[in-house]
Amino acid sequence: MKQKLLLAVSMLALALQATPAAAQSPADLNDLQIAHVAYVADNIDIRYAHLALAISENPAIHEFARTMIRDHTAVNEQALALLKKLNAQPQDNFLSKQLTANSEKLVDEMSQLRGAAFDKRYAENELAYHKAVNDLVSNAFIPNIENAEVKSLFEAGLKIFKAHEHHAEMMVKAVSK
Amino acid sequence: MSRRLFIKKVAAAIAAAAFPAHPFAFPGSAVADTRTHRVEISGFRFTPDRLDVSVGDTITWINRDIAPHTATASEGGWDTGELVKDAQASITVTADMETSYFCAFHPMMKAQLSITAADQ
Repeated sequence: MKQKLLLAVSMLALALQATPAAAQSPADLNDLQIAHVAYVADNIDIRYAHLALAISENPAIHEFARTMIRDHTAVNEQALALLKKLNAQPQDNFLSKQLTANSEKLVDEMSQLRGAAFDKRYAENELAYHKAVNDLVSNAFIPNIENAEVKSLFEAGLKIFKAHEHHAEMMVKAVSK
Repeated sequence: MSRRLFIKKVAAAIAAAAFPAHPFAFPGSAVADTRTHRVEISGFRFTPDRLDVSVGDTITWINRDIAPHTATASEGGWDTGELVKDAQASITVTADMETSYFCAFHPMMKAQLSITAADQ
């Protein structure tokens, strides 16, 4: 029994040595994993925007949601074009999975709301979401991206997302009146 | 034709020959008296954000951002329409056009024109 256990532990140790350790911190992600996180984050915000267009009756929320769809789609098109140029494939990772799981819960929650309650929750989430993503992009992604073109795209994207954060602040104030 | 008017016309013809029409100028514009101004949209800003123009001038907006933008009069009197990355649009300055404008997609982006009459 003891010998079998030792054998199992040895085999597990070999397996861990053979497989590179999976990144568990945003700062440990490689360029292709970072690109995938950004792509997923863009699509999550587009999904929130479509939810807002379906539920909200506030024209200002609709205008904001259409801008989110337009801008995040434009960023994703640039990202996909760059990946094609670099002949690279984005890589799924712990952070993109975590972002997707969190967004599922939030979509479920917001789907239950109507009227002013939805508008307030949507605007507040847009502000919190863009703040979190901007913090991630500024402090964990841009300093660690190795490819100059990928870094440049993220720097351009950060300007857009900061403008969205400012726009979301205005939205929160407007729907909280 | 008076002598004064004749001299003015000859001077205008010489000026037109010496300074060919700018590629952005609209056909039929008074070449010698009008200018084309470029406003770059970059980093969610109009540059310059204050522009002195004369009636008959042309303003060309060029978007350098990934995000689409517009240049739209505050009261909606004129509009470039959507400008995707590296797209441009031009508008000819008229005496009664609105002077305040913004990006319809990102309303915090604002800019201003200052219009003087063509003869001034």
